Parts: sequence; structure tokens; C-alpha cells
Amino acid sequence: MGLRDLLGIGILIGFTVFLIVRTGTERRWPTTLRALPAFDELRQAIERAVEAGQRVHLSLGTGTLIGSDSGPALAGLTALSQAAELTLESDRPVVVSSGDGAVAAASQDALRGTLGRLGASDRFRWTRARMLGPTPFSYVATLPGMLDSERVSVHVLLGHFGSEGALAADMGARQHSFVLAGTDAVPTQALFYATADQPLIGEEAFAAGAYLGAGGMHRASLRVQDLLRLVLMIVIVVGTLLSTLGVGL
Amino acid sequence: MRGGLGLVWAAIAIAFGLIVLQGYFIDLEVLRGVRTMVLQWAVVLAAAALLLGVANLLAVHLSKIGAQEKGWPYSAMLVGALVVTLLVGLFFGEESPLVLSVFQYIQQPVESTLAGLLAISLTLGIVRLLSRRRDMRTYIFLITVFIVLLGTGPWLIGSNGGLHQLMGEARAWLSQVWAAGAARGLLLGVALGATATGLRILLGADRPYGD
Repeated sequence: MGLRDLLGIGILIGFTVFLIVRTGTERRWPTTLRALPAFDELRQAIERAVEAGQRVHLSLGTGTLIGSDSGPALAGLTALSQAAELTLESDRPVVVSSGDGAVAAASQDALRGTLGRLGASDRFRWTRARMLGPTPFSYVATLPGMLDSERVSVHVLLGHFGSEGALAADMGARQHSFVLAGTDAVPTQALFYATADQPLIGEEAFAAGAYLGAGGMHRASLRVQDLLRLVLMIVIVVGTLLSTLGVGL
Repeated sequence: MRGGLGLVWAAIAIAFGLIVLQGYFIDLEVLRGVRTMVLQWAVVLAAAALLLGVANLLAVHLSKIGAQEKGWPYSAMLVGALVVTLLVGLFFGEESPLVLSVFQYIQQPVESTLAGLLAISLTLGIVRLLSRRRDMRTYIFLITVFIVLLGTGPWLIGSNGGLHQLMGEARAWLSQVWAAGAARGLLLGVALGATATGLRILLGADRPYGD
């Protein structure tokens, strides 16, 4: 086990300890979230959709559940639970889609679990969590038909997307839907900046749970992320200074 | 009972998560073998999940056809294409010229067309952006896009001139200094966010596998 492995384990253990401690103190010293207009507007858009009898659609992207691109889809599954809760009273509850069989199965399970927890198991239909197509472009090819037939007015993209993400967001805009889009891939974030009403930049996609009211650990993890980011920034600056001064590590 | 079962799922998910995670740091023969086996199981399960996804896709479109919902002819085409492709693959084998031609002459051109459509979508998206969000960030975004476009491709006239060279240098400076630096900062945030998401699952706080 090398120094890098030990450092990795140390960071993970530190992250975990901070997360547990911060979650424990969350009730006494709650994390104040900075204002993110994207999530404020999302809540308002969902409320409008519920009142108007229109559908909220959540896309979990075209990534897989077992690869390195699973992170944003997992964050999207948390957002799915919150969206299911917010649209519980609607005639047209949330519908979720993905481009991978495993993500679709997980989204069916998450939706079923959430509705069961809310005492509305009878409202679960397994066709509300769908796999639209197994490849990125086959996924977006079938998206317009679904957005149109389901009368979607809130189109949320939270998952891994490549360049096809721009088309997925654009299709929502053509439908005159409110489009919120976030992903882990930086080039796609730039595409979302141009095509979505509310693009999520950087790690904002992973903050969806905290901003949609998923619980204390979500809020606590944002605080811990900020703390670790500060530590990493200090390490980078010190490393740069040492390297400039010719001090090798 | 239901809560108890939920705890069992959580325990299984946490145990398997930890087995895979340790493999990134601890290089022991036994642990490596267990990790490889778990990942192979995951691959097999993902393949089975793909079949479930296809069944889900069929169920959605068959119900649309049955109810004659808006756009049902497209659903009928999708189901027909799926069944034909499946049968051709089953009878002739996945390496047969017929199956390969389905991908080569139908799927690839359609997907390439969609990729080509991306340029138009982005252009329209930028026009919409101007009417939707007129702030400093949008103007910086647009100016950067303009400089990168001018500095990337050849011009109709003046490609050998000094202005084209200047744009090329500006593009390189923007992409190699500003964009690369900003992308690293964003990736740092994404990595922290993904780590936090993974840890919440490993701690059993998030259970995307249901209760």
C-alpha cells in the first residue's frame, strides 16, 4: 500500500467522520444553504405543474449504474423520491426515464419505495419509470414523443449525459417546459448552460437532495464538501508555492 | 417486517460497496479476487436489467398502441423494429451480415443525423439564451464561444492572415489556461459531490434500491 493509497483512505475516513459528526449536529446548528435560484424555480414549476394537471419528468441520463458515471444518476434517484413526494397529490405524478436497464430498475424500485413510505403504494405503476433506449442517441430520439404524450411541463435532467444531453434539454425547451439540467461531465455542463432554463454547474447536481428537502445528511454533506474543498485549495496553493520555490515532496 | 427487510438490503448494499471500495486501496490477492467476482456479478445483473428495461419499453409502447394514444403509430413502428431486429439476431446470429447491416445502414445513420442536429440545437439554444438570461455571465459565454469558433475553423477568406492567427492564439489561451483551470475546479467539486453521494449510500442514509 503506497502513500497515495493511504492518503486516499485517510481522506475517505476523514470525509466519513466529518459527515457523521456534522449530521449529528445538524439539528442544533442547521446548515444554511446558499440561495440557488434553479431549485427555487424548480419547486415553483412543480407546484404549477401539479395545479395545472401537467407532468413532471425526471431524466436520469444515459449513464450506467455500475460505471464511474453512476454518481449523478444516484443523486437523481434522491431527487426522484423528493419529486414523487411533491407530485403525490397530482393527477399526473412524476414520470422518470433513463437510458440504461439497471438505472431504470433502480428508479422503479426508488419510486415504489417512496410511494410505499408515503402510504400510496396503489399509485405505483412500473411503466412510470422507463428505459427509453439503450444507447445515448436512441434515448433522445424517443424523448420528444414521451414529452408530448405525457404533457410534460417540468423537464428535469439529473444524470450522466454526453453531447446528447444538449438535445434532451432542447427538446424540453421546444415543448415549452421548464428545463433544469445538471450532470457530472464538464463539457455537457457547458451545453446545458446554452440549452437549459436553469443549468446546474459543478457539483450543484449532487446538491439536489439537500435543496429539495431530502434530510439532514444531505445538508451536512454540503457543509463537509465545502470544508474539504477549502482544505484541498490550501493544499494546492501550498504545493504550488513549494514547487515554485523548488522544494520537492 | 418491511423495515427489517429494508435493513437487510441496506446491509447487503453496504457490504458489497465496501468490498468494491477497498479494492481501490488495498492490493491483496484474496480481496482482489472477491472484488473481481462482485464486479462480474454486477455486469451480469446489469445485462439482466437491460432485458427488464426492454420488457418495460415493450409494455409502455404496447399499452400506448392498445389505448390508441397520441403518437401510437410511432410506438407500433418501435415495437415492430424491436421484434424484427430481435428475431433476425436470434435466427442469424449477432455477427451475421444482416444484423450488422441493420446497425450500419439504419442505426448508425439515424444516430449520426441526431448528432448533426446538435449544431442546430445549440445555435438555437444560444439565441434563446440571449432572450432568457441577459447577464454578464451570458455575454462572457457568448464572446468566448465566438472567439473559440473563429479561432478553430478555417475562414472563407483571410485564413492565412494575422487576424486568423491572433484568433487561434486567443482560442488556445482561453481553452488551455482559463477553460482548463475552470474545468479542474469544477471537476474537484464534482468529485467531492460524487464521493458524498457514494458515502451516503455506504452509510445507509440514501437507499436508491428502495425499502
